[in-house]
Amino acid sequence: MAGFIELMLERFKVYREPGYYKRFDYWWAMVIDLDRCTGCGACVTACQAENNTPVVGEEECGKGRNLSWIRIERYIEGEYPNVKVKFIPVLCPQCDRAPCEVACPVYATYHNQDGLNVQVYNRCVGTFTCATYCPYDVRRFNWFTYNKKNFLKGNGGSSTSFEPPLDQQLNPDVSVREMGVMEKCTFCIQRIRAAKDRAKDENRPIRDGEIQPACVQTCPTKALTFGDLNNPKSRIAQLAGLSTAGDLHYLRESGSKISDISSNPRTYRLLEDLNAAPTIFYLKRVMKNGSSTAGHE
Amino acid sequence: MLNRRDFLKLVGVGGAGAAAGFALGELTKTPPAKLIPYLIPPEDVIPGIANWYASACMQCSAGCGILVRVMEGRAKKIEGNPLHPINKGGLCARGQAGLQLLYNPDRIKNPLKRNGKRGKGEFEEITWEEGLSILTNNLMELRSHGEADRLYLLTSLIRGHLNFLLADFMKAYGSPNYLQYDLFQYENLRFANKIIVGQYTIPHYDIANTNFLLSFGADFVTTWISPVNYNYGYGQMRQGEGRNVRGKLVQIEPRLSLTGANADEWVPVRPGTEGVLALGIAYIILEGGYYRGGDAKLWKDALKKYNPEAVASTTEVSEDRIKQLGKEFATTKPSLAIGGETVSSYENGVSNLVAINLLNHLSGNIGKTGGVIPNPDVIKKSFNPIATIAKDASRRKIKTLILHNANPVFTTPETLKLKDALKDIPFIASLSSLHDETTALADLILPSHTYFEDWGDDFAEPTVGYSVATIMQPAVSPLFNTKGAGDVFISLAKTLGGNLQKDITWEDFGVFLRDSWKKIYERHKGDIKEANFEDFWNDLLARGGWWDAVPKASKPVRVAASEVSAHLSSEPAKFEGNDKEYPFYLILYPHLSYKDGRGANLPWLQELPDPMTSVVWGTWIEMNSKAATGMGIKEGDMLLVESPFGKITAPVYFYPGQRPDTISIPLGQGHTSYGRYADGRGANPIELLPAKTDPKTGAIPLNSTRIKITRVNAPKSFVKMEGVAKELGRNIVQTITPEEFKKMGKEA
Ligand code: SF4
Ligand code: SF4
Ligand code: SF4
Repeated sequence: MAGFIELMLERFKVYREPGYYKRFDYWWAMVIDLDRCTGCGACVTACQAENNTPVVGEEECGKGRNLSWIRIERYIEGEYPNVKVKFIPVLCPQCDRAPCEVACPVYATYHNQDGLNVQVYNRCVGTFTCATYCPYDVRRFNWFTYNKKNFLKGNGGSSTSFEPPLDQQLNPDVSVREMGVMEKCTFCIQRIRAAKDRAKDENRPIRDGEIQPACVQTCPTKALTFGDLNNPKSRIAQLAGLSTAGDLHYLRESGSKISDISSNPRTYRLLEDLNAAPTIFYLKRVMKNGSSTAGHE
Repeated sequence: MLNRRDFLKLVGVGGAGAAAGFALGELTKTPPAKLIPYLIPPEDVIPGIANWYASACMQCSAGCGILVRVMEGRAKKIEGNPLHPINKGGLCARGQAGLQLLYNPDRIKNPLKRNGKRGKGEFEEITWEEGLSILTNNLMELRSHGEADRLYLLTSLIRGHLNFLLADFMKAYGSPNYLQYDLFQYENLRFANKIIVGQYTIPHYDIANTNFLLSFGADFVTTWISPVNYNYGYGQMRQGEGRNVRGKLVQIEPRLSLTGANADEWVPVRPGTEGVLALGIAYIILEGGYYRGGDAKLWKDALKKYNPEAVASTTEVSEDRIKQLGKEFATTKPSLAIGGETVSSYENGVSNLVAINLLNHLSGNIGKTGGVIPNPDVIKKSFNPIATIAKDASRRKIKTLILHNANPVFTTPETLKLKDALKDIPFIASLSSLHDETTALADLILPSHTYFEDWGDDFAEPTVGYSVATIMQPAVSPLFNTKGAGDVFISLAKTLGGNLQKDITWEDFGVFLRDSWKKIYERHKGDIKEANFEDFWNDLLARGGWWDAVPKASKPVRVAASEVSAHLSSEPAKFEGNDKEYPFYLILYPHLSYKDGRGANLPWLQELPDPMTSVVWGTWIEMNSKAATGMGIKEGDMLLVESPFGKITAPVYFYPGQRPDTISIPLGQGHTSYGRYADGRGANPIELLPAKTDPKTGAIPLNSTRIKITRVNAPKSFVKMEGVAKELGRNIVQTITPEEFKKMGKEA
């Protein structure tokens, strides 16, 4: 076991020298306000439309092979009439100390300079290791080349995932993945690249709010906010209560708990104790203890 | 009004959704009036560069504005238009999925003529020339026999200039029978508003600014009226910037909807007694002296039988809770009461909605920020319920029926016998992009453009306190051999001659639309910044519409106790079937993804897990596990559901947010003729309903029957995506209490 941990740390170093990020301009992150999110699912469809994620059909869904990069988890606690229901959008939080990165034997997943956890499809050999290591269960595997597989079998019809002319919708900025490849949320890296190019052409830094990933853009309740955590004035830094640059560097270097440094008591990170340092900051839902019907009793 | 420079400025500022902002900026570089014909002047087809065109979402009747991302002549993505006052940049899942309508493999590619028995689905492809001449000849013959009034036109809810064109066409042709139909037309709500707000329109419910939202079965975060706008309001009500109080939501409904799941409190009222509960709350407002009007005594007299004791026994909501709700509603300012589909869908829907609206009147919420904001008047349509069509058809009054995007066969109960009645119509033509259960009965199918390929506009109702017009423009050239409905009617008018030719003179629908907007420009010149119509039109297209953000001052309405009480009913809603034989109330609800069924042919929506049950690609029955004990039913078992009127089978999902005496089933599946993704999937619970429609509004009461269930041996169950529905101490969705949150505000 000890040898294993050392191996992990060794690998980790390849990706990360302390303070490396100060050399780069951006650190992309997201804030998700659970008190706004209604669980409407618009973000799920928006992501699918933007990122060429295939429809896999009922049968494959039944095997848990749905390919969405973002899902809404729903928890129901209690019994009638004291029922409490909670929702949380879960997508890859681009962990700063990502367990998947150190686990991949072929370096198909790595950390880029903007703090993104990137997947190189061409390099991926489909060992599934990253998905096993991911504590958030956000990695999705292409069990088939879904664009060649008829997913309506048994239902009388016939259709592949991008049955013509549905294929004309495919986003040319995003590749279509084939069998044996792992994939996951990229924070809509194609939009980040486009914004960078634009900013470079205009010789200016990317403006706060200029990049909106597809899920953030569509969210009707404005529960999702995206931005640069290196910029303490950004909206996400403000919302997460991380408003000095010092906070952020401390957060990155010390591996401290978000509640130690955030000025917003609503800020938390999902399964923080696992120490993967996710860069999605959730804002706690405001809710009565006990049940949603406990109001007047 | 925004002129182009202001508009660009607005687009330029960071923070205001700049990704889309850039897109809009980009768009103004190529005046969309000259856009497209990809095949003719390709100057805006630059490989690899996206253009964005502003347009209108047509996936429901909310009237959201969209931007369509177009690359090399193909639409790639839809986003909400950030400048649009209804959706403010957001879109719902159905709006996002619109492109799968455009690119649906089951689209009708050429005009079709029936060849084989009606309803058998056998058609042969013909040319447009032939198709149009078949229809023209039919209409000529009808007119020459003096039977012009036996032409019926049935469309979906169309509100823009296409509606005016069709109305002109029908008038010039000589038929009064131009009808629109949607299962959810909110006619009950308009009717109730006429009584209490004095307007036959749906007002703007200012959820964003309210502090106490009392929702009677309004599932406003999924499908109700204008879900994107209400979701936005909900987000603002909870955590809007500059708000010092977090608004509270109480949801009153027998089945916990997605909106209910987000509420602070759920009141699982007995089905059909919501109106009585509203009157019980009104009683408390009056008793507590919270109503300031001079006619308090009259109201008290009118409502005296709704004392907490009586109301508690009818509604199964405790007296204390009724008192508490009344007090909280009256003392929290501003407060807002809304009545949604569940209450509107009882057979006494109108009186429930009147009772709920009365709460707004008694608490002084009408015309207030955070309350009920009146909207500009709309042109009231002559209203013909769908039952009339069934009746007229079976009496052989209808000789020719033209359908456009309406699918009443799927959304009316079998008991209304619409399908049989349609078979008595000698000639049916359907202008539709896709096959559906009603189009399947047609003799002639003229394939129409989708909303990405056509010109059009839309006047949203409800809007947000001021008029909003959204422009629809052809973002892409037609994929198949289709025509816009407007163009079809214009060319019919030309060949039919006579009055039609005199009244309908435009070359095509695009020209008609532009001309109509020119008239609007002339009328409103004073309020419009653009110096000439060309600029105005270009801005209109670039921005995606025209909205005049000055709310009109509303006239105060006099609400008389004597008049209103005539519309109230102290009786719970009636459910068909006796409770011995049929032990469960049936509640049907429009599904988030499919709404009334129209979304079921889009694979993205089929694969979007239902937010409450996580089921994909099917129908399920929601039942409380407590009710299943002793019946030997396990989750996933197939159940036969029977009402006195029909039966369906579907698998059961155990849902704790359900009264044990109630069973709920989502609408939308069970298609038989709606393309490969929808057909043969799940069941259509509308088949369980009686042949009832509201005599005043024509609405079909979805919640009007009782049912019984029996387990059947069948292998097929549902697929659900959820793993464990409990957090198991992992503290995944963390919460803080309202008290803690209040403290935070003070510290900040
Ligand atoms: S779109 Fe927004 S409100 Fe809807 S589920 Fe996603 S995050 Fe939540
Ligand atoms: S950020 Fe982009 S890739 Fe990630 S979930 Fe959202 S839409 Fe999908
Ligand atoms: S609510 Fe959804 S479907 Fe309806 S118009 Fe808006 S985006 Fe379209």
